[in-house]
Amino acid sequence: MRVPIEWLKEYIDIEVSAEEIAKVLTNIGHEVEAIERFEDDTVLEVNITPNRPDCLSIFGIARELSAFFRKPLRFPEIYLTEEKADEIDFKIDILDPDLCNRYAGCIVKGVKIEPSPPWMARRLEKCGIRAINNIVDITNYVLLELGHPLHAFDLDTLKGKCIRVGTPQSVTGNQTSLITKTLDGIAREIPSSGLLIWDAEEPIAIAGIMGGLDTEVKDATENIFLESAYFNPLSILRTSKVLGLKTESSYRFEKGTDINMLEKALLRATFLMRRIAGGEVYGKLDVYPKLFAPKTVILRYRRVNSILGLNLSKDYVYDIIERLGFEIHGSDEYFTVTPPSFRVDISREIDLVEEIARIFGYDRIPSELPKAQIGFDDTRERVAIAKNNVKESIRTSCLRKGFNEVINFSFMGSQDLDMLKIAENDERRKLVKILNPLRIEDSYMRTTLIPSLIKNVEYNVAHGNRDLRLFEISKVFINKEKPIEGVPHKDSILPEERTHIAAIFYKEKTKTLYRDDIHEFYLMKGVIEAILENLKIDNHLFVRSSEGFLHPGQSADLFINDIKIGFVGTLAPFVYENLEIRAYRPRIVVFELNLDCIIQFSKKDIIYRQLSKYPYIERDTAIIVDSTLESSVLRDLINQHRSDLIEGFYIFDVYQGDNIPKGKKSIAFNLRYRASDRTLTDEDVDKIHNALITYILEKTGGQIRT
Amino acid sequence: MVEEIKERFFEDLNSAEDLQKLNAIRVKYLGKKGVLTAQLKLLPSLPPSERPLVGKLINEIKVLIEKELSSKEAFLKEAELKKQLLSEYIDITLPGKYTPFGSEHPLNKVLAEIIDIFIRMGFSVEEGPEVELDYYNFEALNIPKEHPARDMQDTFYISDEILLRTHTSPVQIRGMIKRTPPVRFIAPGKVYRCDADISHTPMFHQVEGLMIDENVTFSNLKGVLVTFIHLMFGQDVPVRFRPSFFPFTEPSAEVDMGCILCRCHGCRVCKNSGWLEILGAGMVHPVVLENVGYDTERYNGFAFGMGVERIAMLKYQIDDIRLFFENDIRFLRQF
Repeated sequence: MRVPIEWLKEYIDIEVSAEEIAKVLTNIGHEVEAIERFEDDTVLEVNITPNRPDCLSIFGIARELSAFFRKPLRFPEIYLTEEKADEIDFKIDILDPDLCNRYAGCIVKGVKIEPSPPWMARRLEKCGIRAINNIVDITNYVLLELGHPLHAFDLDTLKGKCIRVGTPQSVTGNQTSLITKTLDGIAREIPSSGLLIWDAEEPIAIAGIMGGLDTEVKDATENIFLESAYFNPLSILRTSKVLGLKTESSYRFEKGTDINMLEKALLRATFLMRRIAGGEVYGKLDVYPKLFAPKTVILRYRRVNSILGLNLSKDYVYDIIERLGFEIHGSDEYFTVTPPSFRVDISREIDLVEEIARIFGYDRIPSELPKAQIGFDDTRERVAIAKNNVKESIRTSCLRKGFNEVINFSFMGSQDLDMLKIAENDERRKLVKILNPLRIEDSYMRTTLIPSLIKNVEYNVAHGNRDLRLFEISKVFINKEKPIEGVPHKDSILPEERTHIAAIFYKEKTKTLYRDDIHEFYLMKGVIEAILENLKIDNHLFVRSSEGFLHPGQSADLFINDIKIGFVGTLAPFVYENLEIRAYRPRIVVFELNLDCIIQFSKKDIIYRQLSKYPYIERDTAIIVDSTLESSVLRDLINQHRSDLIEGFYIFDVYQGDNIPKGKKSIAFNLRYRASDRTLTDEDVDKIHNALITYILEKTGGQIRT
Repeated sequence: MVEEIKERFFEDLNSAEDLQKLNAIRVKYLGKKGVLTAQLKLLPSLPPSERPLVGKLINEIKVLIEKELSSKEAFLKEAELKKQLLSEYIDITLPGKYTPFGSEHPLNKVLAEIIDIFIRMGFSVEEGPEVELDYYNFEALNIPKEHPARDMQDTFYISDEILLRTHTSPVQIRGMIKRTPPVRFIAPGKVYRCDADISHTPMFHQVEGLMIDENVTFSNLKGVLVTFIHLMFGQDVPVRFRPSFFPFTEPSAEVDMGCILCRCHGCRVCKNSGWLEILGAGMVHPVVLENVGYDTERYNGFAFGMGVERIAMLKYQIDDIRLFFENDIRFLRQF
């Protein structure tokens, strides 16, 4: 809200600078966001929190400052003499007293529509409101001045000398909604529960939100019906939301106006009309079916101190509450406090504690670390620690392997799954749909992290970054097959959230100083192996992948204990067709693992194995086998033949070409033998080794390469 | 005679350029058929009175030659090694062969720092779902349906009852339901609001904090948050608490710290105010405690929340929030 200092000073005498006022307002909870200088004035831009509609006016701000500075508050001049009350032939009828607790009005006759006087137009302008004509401006002026919205009707356009306040349902008895043309010239559909103002025949305004076009004050208007009412905040909020229509007026009504200010605002406006527009004011009408009953609140002053960590005296507390305009009665232990009608935000003891804190000043409250007990739930902490350790271990593995961590939005579109040709019955099609997405491409929560990573590669390649290793650890969201209906506040209707780790590798073929020609698949598989080794998981298995978007010959699914944990592989050629990557035959390798799944397999306890004191003996062997034979066969055969003496096995060469028959390949490997209790002799090793090689050759149909 | 040998030896020694030649000299003088051996063989032919003297002279020269040869040998060996090493020189200014370590995402880096500080203050770390029930996100936090405060947050909805959490505050409720006081935890995580412009992204990160115990005061809230800001941004950063409004805390506070970029003199980032909004906080509203069945007469406490992007932007002087989610490696590698 904009507060011109010159205007503010009409209600309170304060001698301090605009900066000082701004500082005080900020310190008592009304943040001044900007100070704007004018030739003859300074305007403060004040941010009023939604719980304080009483401060949405210049007078309201003055009232706060008056409490803080202990300065008297001046109420503006109002019209008090009632002229010709007996001549009024006008009736107000409230059909929905729950939605309209009070409705007052005045008839002003013989006004002359003119531009407002410069002082008023200028004040309105400084507050960001355009001057229209004296009558409309006066309603706006009083709205800014006292915070109470008013509406002026052209009396002569009203039919039947009456005002009715009611919803379409109460007035017409129909459930249907209704079309009304508002001031802005738009025909609006009013819900059957929306509160309207009617004349004897038809609706003339949407209560508290906007007036109707037909009854607005025009240049030729002579007679006015001026409305000042109290509308139920929730009703205004609902209607305003349904219509998508927010006005200065609706904003104040929906937050709660001061039901007692209503009358003063009306008298203030009639005073101004008489003075500025030369009108003759007729007696006030006031229908008030539901009298405002102030609610008392008990305040234990000890409680104030125990919550704030202060040691304020009883008198001090009393003084603050009284200054704020509350009625307060004291006893030894507690006060009975009645908030004024404008403080719609006060209903509990804690609300008063806040009042004391903000007037005392947050900055004067000492800052002191708590003297706390330790509340420690070891079962929960153990689970949390284990989970965090696994996550951090995986993160560290990726970072060490040179992968840059990314964070993507949790959204995706169905086109992302289509791009990967994810099957209709795939779990990744169990989508969580956002009803109001920002973009259609972001309509769903991610069920896989791969599409985002592919986009990261595209983005980076477009920006000239050619060597990309990226990974992300984020949640994916799998919709539940059948959410249990009608069970509120229950987690069972929420989707399943899983933490995934996914990575992507892409490197453009460039000439490099040092040889680096490893197939990217092995590089990515190596990262997974490092992750698993770091977590001491050794019972995993890579099998040819069933993922349709991966190259069938260069992909694998990872299993631990027969549970699929994830996949690794080169993207299938069809995926590149839709990508903005112009390299010749690009090769992108990805993996994605279910981190929550991995956690249960990570070995928590490490038990040290003794180091053998005895020397080892190594044997290198090369065998020629069918080129289709996979190395895992060799590994399995060695495992089957496992002897305690075999300490290690690794393949150091796979070769096809010269000297090797077509359709065959050579695999060279190293075996290391060692006993834990004695020194092995060459004879011992020869015996075991030869038996093992014979077994391998027999099973693979291979032969020794000589 | 002996002097003559000595002279010739030094001539030869000086002309020896490598170990091979040196060896030839050794053979020439000290070998079985060498000069000195030949001289020794002549000894018996000398008169007995001269023998001891000549023998002594020959021995002396033999010792001298051996000494000179070994020192020359050491010199030549050294020279040869030098020559070999010189031939093995490589261009040490060429870059090393390495794979750089990956970089942590700046948000996770800052998040880790925040979490570390609170863990040191005795807070545990709690998690909650990102797709959340309306009840936990709003109602239990004293924001009933149609509460004006819901306008403050633009919510992504999944259904009437389910939404993307708009803040990490629902974890307060879940955390309290699972525990009995004393309760002390933080809840970091992703949150969502349907808002996208130069300073807003539809997804961002928050850290929520909660402490419930007997005799927890607003003064304690200040103590914890001032300590946090000092650890995060420096001991001399001024901190300001001013009243604000959140439905789930009362009294509520907005916490500002002195602008670290202009040292409170006023700049573009702090909009010339000298202050930067950094945290929202307050004493947990009794309605919230009642909603989780805590005895509000016995227990109270405080809660706070902060935006991780905001803190990272200030810490690294990043001027555009969207950089965090573009994932350009030229950006990522800087952290």
